[in-house]
Amino acid sequence: MIELLNIERVFLVGDEEVHALRQISFDVATGEYVAIMGSSGSGKSTLLNILGLLDRPDSGVYQLDSQRVSELDEDHLAEVRRHQIGFVFQFFHLIPRLTAFENVELPLTLAGVAPSLRKQKVTDALAAFGLRDRARHRPAQLSGGQRQRVAIARATIMEPKIILADEPTGNLDSSSGSEVINILEELNRLGITVIMVTHDHAIGARASRIIRMADGRIESDSRHR
Amino acid sequence: MRLNDFFLITFLSVREQPLRSFLTALGIAVGISAVVLLTSLGEGLHRFVLSEFTQFGTNLIAINPGKKSTLGVSGAVISNVRPLSIDDADALSMLPGVIKSQPVIQGNAAVEAGKRQRRTTVFGVGSDTPEVWQLSVAAGHFLPNDPPRNARPYAVLGSRLRKELFKQEPFLGKRLRIGGEVYRVIGGMESKGQMLGFDLDDAVYLPIAKAMSMFNRESLMEIDLLYDKDHSAESITIAASKMLKKRHGSEDFTITTQEQMLETLGSVLNILTIAVGALGGISLVVGGVGIFTIMTIAVNERRAEIGLLCALGASRQLVRLLFLGEAITLSLLGGLAGLILGVGCALGLALLVPALPIHTSWGFVAAAELIAVLVGLGAGVLPANNAASLPPVEALRAE
Amino acid sequence: MRISDMFTFSVFAAIGNRGRTALMLLAVSIGVASVVLLVSLGESARQYVSNQFSSLGSNLLIVLPGRSETVGGPPPLLGITPRDLTIDDAETLARIAVVRRFSPLVVGAAPVSHRQKEREVTILGASRDIFAIRRMEIGQGVIWPANDNRFQAVCVLGSKVKSELFGNDNALGQKIRIGDYRFQVIGVMRPKASSLGDDLADMAIIPIASAQALFDTSSLFRIVVEAESEAEIAKAKEAIIRTIRARHDGEDDITVITQDAILATFDKIFKAMTLTVAGIATISLIVAGIIIMNVMLVAVSSRRAEIGLLKALGAPKRQIVYLFLTEAGAISMAGALCGLGLGGSILRLLAWFLPQFPIFFAPWSSIVAFTVALSTGLLFGILPAQKAADLGAAYALSRR
Repeated sequence: MIELLNIERVFLVGDEEVHALRQISFDVATGEYVAIMGSSGSGKSTLLNILGLLDRPDSGVYQLDSQRVSELDEDHLAEVRRHQIGFVFQFFHLIPRLTAFENVELPLTLAGVAPSLRKQKVTDALAAFGLRDRARHRPAQLSGGQRQRVAIARATIMEPKIILADEPTGNLDSSSGSEVINILEELNRLGITVIMVTHDHAIGARASRIIRMADGRIESDSRHR
Repeated sequence: MRLNDFFLITFLSVREQPLRSFLTALGIAVGISAVVLLTSLGEGLHRFVLSEFTQFGTNLIAINPGKKSTLGVSGAVISNVRPLSIDDADALSMLPGVIKSQPVIQGNAAVEAGKRQRRTTVFGVGSDTPEVWQLSVAAGHFLPNDPPRNARPYAVLGSRLRKELFKQEPFLGKRLRIGGEVYRVIGGMESKGQMLGFDLDDAVYLPIAKAMSMFNRESLMEIDLLYDKDHSAESITIAASKMLKKRHGSEDFTITTQEQMLETLGSVLNILTIAVGALGGISLVVGGVGIFTIMTIAVNERRAEIGLLCALGASRQLVRLLFLGEAITLSLLGGLAGLILGVGCALGLALLVPALPIHTSWGFVAAAELIAVLVGLGAGVLPANNAASLPPVEALRAE
Repeated sequence: MRISDMFTFSVFAAIGNRGRTALMLLAVSIGVASVVLLVSLGESARQYVSNQFSSLGSNLLIVLPGRSETVGGPPPLLGITPRDLTIDDAETLARIAVVRRFSPLVVGAAPVSHRQKEREVTILGASRDIFAIRRMEIGQGVIWPANDNRFQAVCVLGSKVKSELFGNDNALGQKIRIGDYRFQVIGVMRPKASSLGDDLADMAIIPIASAQALFDTSSLFRIVVEAESEAEIAKAKEAIIRTIRARHDGEDDITVITQDAILATFDKIFKAMTLTVAGIATISLIVAGIIIMNVMLVAVSSRRAEIGLLKALGAPKRQIVYLFLTEAGAISMAGALCGLGLGGSILRLLAWFLPQFPIFFAPWSSIVAFTVALSTGLLFGILPAQKAADLGAAYALSRR
């Protein structure tokens, strides 16, 4: 479903050009569970941002569901993000003034879904992630693991085909971390494509495919299991 | 996004920092209440002055000797080689559409009644004064319609003069001495109050011809025409002007319609009200700077949130609208608070100082609210645009 | 901490956040500029009016026939009375020691014509002293000889009347018709900026006796009197009232207005107006104060770590309060300076566009604006400063 061909991304840092991504080409099929690994500065986060349509490549072609998304305008990109992609971040990015319920509800709100339907969906999602009794809490009142579960509930509420996770365990203790990974794997078993950036080898090893990056290039691309 | 969700999200953002939002809105509120209070004072003054004028009725035309277009007093009112005469007034009363024609002169004289004496305003007028000037007689009756050359020495007293000269005693039929002649009191007027400094109550009304001979004058100071409401002021003005030109051989008089005067006065007072309101508006502009400052800070602080909204699929337009909505909400809340504050102050002032003419004009209030919203919009545009053009990747990184 | 160090620290803190600081400066400077501008305009208008008044002459008294009984009521400006003021009444004023000059006046309107040209003009009948009293200057020709009480068929024209009737031709010695009489032009007045009320350029001035004949009247419109000095005005007023009363069978039937009374009234009105307008503009400074408070509150929370650090380094509470107050004060001072500059430049621009209206900078406006700006800045700075000082050091240093 994802096809990348010769993706390039160059940043200007001061007067210097930094090639964050060079000649990146790979495909991801529906239902895959991919870990992107590499040291910091290897370009893995840039790659994830491009995959998530938050950033545009300077050259190359990105096809999502056989649509050349690299040529879409801003508003269409927003629409694709809204319906097809769910994001999970290292720092959760929950809005502090909203309750857990409202944070999960936010994508539905942005999409203009009717309130009654929203309520049903969010209640179900919170229950599914074991957050039923946390619905009225604000992020500051939740533990790290709970926050990330709220974030995942939010990422899945629009029933996206892809979940992009940027160091989802980076800010969590190990038990909460593995809990989060379990959830992502469960989602993958339900057919959602999961692409995760991590530098934790143990977590990376659990993926069915590992793409290793260094200096903006793909160093290796291996599948197992 | 649904509209009510939009409002809810905006409202939640405003509520998140209550003190900050309160202070921002307070800036606008102070500005709006200043505008509301000041325009209330201006409008009150406007109405007060207009009612002072219209108490004489609106279908009046005044003719003064001398050519002068401004409201100022022409030297010709004092002395003139071609006077306006009683005959002129009589001739004008024949014009179609003219109900009454009223000759006027005004002077100052000592009025003696027995041992009491008072210097007061003397109006030399015709018999139709109550109708033309919309005065009412309290006791007795007004001057009779005697032939001008043969008028009987009768006098009618204004209410203040009557009190000064006769206290509570009966006054009808009493004798007065004015300018060396004896007059008999045949009536007393109801109180009419002051008209821009002229006290119509501290006055005595005498037959025009008597007053002219007492003051040793041949020229009237004014002729007032009361016209039928079915005729336009313009047509009467043209007809009167034509007739007087024929009688005098040249245009040596000035015609002022009540309508014209009210219009000029009204526009002057309107400008005054608007100018005073605009002065209050300076505070509103400063309040707008406050919204701009706070919104700039908010966009800066909430970069991560903006990035998140982008990641969740909010379009740039939506991000822009959300921040604009926030700015407008602040100004609107401030505007409403200012409205309550301003109207409250106006009412309080009216209670404390009843003499002060205060009238809250809802037109100005609506304009002030509209301006508040515009100020919010204007102050919000730049920060909102900044928010919308923030690259999502960079915004998310700001943690 | 030394005051100078404190000041430097605050100024750098303010500069460190350029955008916000600039906006606060903008808010304060709008307020200060409007106060300065409005006060200066009000003061200029007041000066203008009082200059206009003194250009009418000085130490003047005006004697009107008629009197109003109501205290504080308006004088009978259009007063005509059964017993008029007469030339003889006026003549007796010459016997009062403190009266330097006087002139009886008759005012009226009459058509003035020369050949085919005719114009309705205000005619002023006066004695020759009127030129000295009202400071009217003769551009060409002369004033009539000092025999005011006899009919003399001579006149002095205002500059506008002259140019309307004669264009650029010489008017001196020409005959003109005023009403039913023929007059010889013996003088033309020098053009003068229009003064309050009456436009002297559109007048013809004739001897008082001639005017009385022209308008067929024996009464005077009023008498203008010039007292010997400012100190003698009150004395003159009393003497005039006494003299006329004696002539009018003991009756008080005149009103005497003094020029300085009118001027004082105008002065009071203008002062009140200026103060009101300045007061309204000051409201905007309060709004600016609210903005300073708001932004400083934001600064306290975003600079929490810095405050924690200061505390860890041993800064007492009081010092942190002073630091934030200094910042608020410095911002309002700087804003006031910008506002002064802004207001001053707008005034200059106005003065440049309206050269006929003397616009000047009222120094006291800047003092008022400065004081109000600084005190609102400090006042509204107290709450944020207190809040900053009350932050717990450990909490302030912790992240989130």
